[in-house]
Amino acid sequence: MKPRRTCIELYELNVKNRAAEPPSFYHRHSARRSRSTQAVFIGTTLAIFLATSAFAQSDAEFTKANQAYAQGHFKEAVAGYEALVRSGQWSANLFYDLGNAHFRAGDFGHAILNYERALALERHHPEATANLQIARDEARALELQPSLPERYLQFASTNQYSIAAGIAFWIGALCLVVLIFARRRSIAMIVLLLVTFSVFAGAIFAIWQRERGVNGRALAIVTVENLQARIATADTANSVLALPPGSEVEILSTRGDWIYAALPNNLRGWIPATSAEQVRL
Amino acid sequence: MARVILITILVGIFGASPTFADSPSVTAVLNASEALVGETVQLEIRLKGARSADAPETIAVDGLEIRRTGTSQRVEVNNFNLTSSVIYNYTILPLRMGTFTIPPQTIRVGNSSLRTPELTLNVAASPSGQTTQRRSGGSSTTGANQLVFAELVVPKKSAFVGEMVPAQVRLGFDPRAHPQLIEPPEITGQGFTAQKLQQSGQNSETIGGRPYEVVVYRTAIAAARAGKFELGPVKAKAQVVVPQRRSAPRSRSPFDLFNMDDPFSDPFFSNPFGQFGERREVEITSEPVTLEVKPLPQNAPTSFSGAIGNFSMTTDAKPKSVQVGDPITVTSTISGRGNFGRVNAPLVVDERGWHKYPPSSKFKQDDEVGISGAKTFETVLSPNEKRQSLPILAFSYFDPVKEQYVTLLSEPIAIAVQGGAASAQNIATSPPAAANPAPEARPSVTAKPADILYQLTERPAVAESFAPVYSRPLFWAAQLVPLLVLFGFVGWKIRQAKIDNREARRIAALQHEAAELMRKLHRGDASPREYYVGASRLLRVKAALARNIDPNTVDAETAAETFGLNDDSRERLRRLFEQSDELQYSGAHNGSAKVSSENRRDVLELIENLK
Repeated sequence: MKPRRTCIELYELNVKNRAAEPPSFYHRHSARRSRSTQAVFIGTTLAIFLATSAFAQSDAEFTKANQAYAQGHFKEAVAGYEALVRSGQWSANLFYDLGNAHFRAGDFGHAILNYERALALERHHPEATANLQIARDEARALELQPSLPERYLQFASTNQYSIAAGIAFWIGALCLVVLIFARRRSIAMIVLLLVTFSVFAGAIFAIWQRERGVNGRALAIVTVENLQARIATADTANSVLALPPGSEVEILSTRGDWIYAALPNNLRGWIPATSAEQVRL
Repeated sequence: MARVILITILVGIFGASPTFADSPSVTAVLNASEALVGETVQLEIRLKGARSADAPETIAVDGLEIRRTGTSQRVEVNNFNLTSSVIYNYTILPLRMGTFTIPPQTIRVGNSSLRTPELTLNVAASPSGQTTQRRSGGSSTTGANQLVFAELVVPKKSAFVGEMVPAQVRLGFDPRAHPQLIEPPEITGQGFTAQKLQQSGQNSETIGGRPYEVVVYRTAIAAARAGKFELGPVKAKAQVVVPQRRSAPRSRSPFDLFNMDDPFSDPFFSNPFGQFGERREVEITSEPVTLEVKPLPQNAPTSFSGAIGNFSMTTDAKPKSVQVGDPITVTSTISGRGNFGRVNAPLVVDERGWHKYPPSSKFKQDDEVGISGAKTFETVLSPNEKRQSLPILAFSYFDPVKEQYVTLLSEPIAIAVQGGAASAQNIATSPPAAANPAPEARPSVTAKPADILYQLTERPAVAESFAPVYSRPLFWAAQLVPLLVLFGFVGWKIRQAKIDNREARRIAALQHEAAELMRKLHRGDASPREYYVGASRLLRVKAALARNIDPNTVDAETAAETFGLNDDSRERLRRLFEQSDELQYSGAHNGSAKVSSENRRDVLELIENLK
């Protein structure tokens, strides 16, 4: 009589048999999937490692620039911060610190430009707001006056208006679908539909107004001293307005090396293209 | 056709009579508003829009000798409009010191009369009693002697450093010498700056019995330092035709009445085709003029920027109602006569509570050389706090006639500033307009500027972007979520509608079946089997419609409950179902052919009463 095998023995036998067998299709496929999983894992790990090391490196540069600032080497600090800006490591605090370094170096135009950039990235940046006001006072920089609708629409940012527009649109679309399929039209649903589409239209208007307004994408800051806006594209043309460094202008068009800009005090004139930098990079 | 158009255009161009651009108008201007006794001043009456007029030969003013010295004409064509101007030149010789008013002169043009404006001339006593250096003029080479002359006319003998002194250069040519100017006149000398010479007119004069065409150039001279200067000489070059010398004695020219060795006594000028003249280049040189330049007094006000002359100031502001921090454009216009190159924007007397921005300027000159006109400054002021009036502006200049500094103060302009907090201190200390005439008392604001805030050492792990959220791909990818939700909802709703539609069709089929069965039961031609089976089916369908269930699941009890029947009706219903089953399954129906009318009535009554 053949002795009865236990479960453990049977399992071991099965494993031995499998090891002796040539690899089947199932096994080959499984091995390929495991290799691709391994590749994905390695790639992800590598990407995370590279990103982490890049961030660590930029963090070291940021710390170095901060140390230079603390030691009073403002030009060195400016160079350090600007290297980070060039590498695309943009943040409100980086532009704020760069603005501070420019301020200490006596370059109010660039200081105001970088405070504006910090505020463009983070609308409620209290330190940048405070220092911008101080720099403007020092430079006696001129500011553009926002239009009346723009003044009222300043309570939210373009991003907030964009998100509000998106949410209102989808709620409105859902209401519309419900109304189409409903056997009885509910008044409340119709009111909700009108409200959501009104919010959507208002948000779109607000985005358009803000983007083309004085704080929109065309906003630029004068970065040079003794700039005269002129009525024509010539250094000898009559002056329209003297623009201290840090003054705001809105770029309307560009012709060669000259910019046609809306100036403070509702004036318009030509300035050299190299004399102002756009706030949004 | 083209020829006709061409002829029409030519007729239009040449046939059109010249039209005057404007109705005749007259202006009068002095080349200097101040002069010394014996120093001549030029008066120019310019009649625009006419070719001739009756102008007085002399103008009677007590203390001044005013005589007409020449007339010149100028024709301009602008945009096919012909403008003709006649310029009457007068020379004024002050006989005594004082302020003289040259009354308006009546100029008759055709049937109408025009009046010149009233002019004022201040005449001071001559320090040395000498007369003006005039016609100290030079001549040129020997052969061209007396054919040309140049003179530098400077109405003042003394001036202050930086003061713009108007000057005239007169080049005279004998017209018979067919003069041609090669090099324009130039004032030589050092220690002064001169504006570019501007030709201002040409007239005919008879000097010493000889006719001359005199070209007048105007300029303004400013001395760079104190001391005694020699202005000039004026130098120019011209080509003239001079007669060739003859050895034989010649007859005297009718021009040479007094045997003054007039070169034009040469027969060449009486018969130019009979003899040959010689075209010769001559240098025209004037005598220099001495100018004594005095330094400015020491006690210059703070707002003095080097302006010398006689000026007035007007100011205006726009807008007059603003919020704190809003810009106000203050327009100040300095007009008058003097060195406008040194006229700077007026100073803000008290800058406290205001932000002042660099001004822009615009100059509009009234004369050829730019010493008369108006310079407009636009200064942007921004209030830091509530204010009721604009700060006072001060402009200082040196008056060379009074020989003292003059400070002009703007009138206080009322404004309304909203928002912010009112500064009681500033309101209390704001200077009144008349109480603070000199800007030297201007308080200097040297408040220490606020220091900036500290560095921030934290940085987000992810870089931020200036691009608005709506322009990022992630935003649009996120819109897929509500889009899918919406599609899901729409799909669910459509499915629901389809299901509802199927149920409705089933009910409609049952109702149709019930109606058909009812019709059959009323006909009475059916066999008992068909009749009772149809009746029970009708009851099932009716109950199924009432309870929204499958009719095959309805039995007698369910139907009785559905319709809430009493015991009698329930019993009749049960019998009907039993009879139907019996006829359907037992085969007993083969016996009788028809249902009695009594039974049919009974069944119909039962069915019709079911509600």
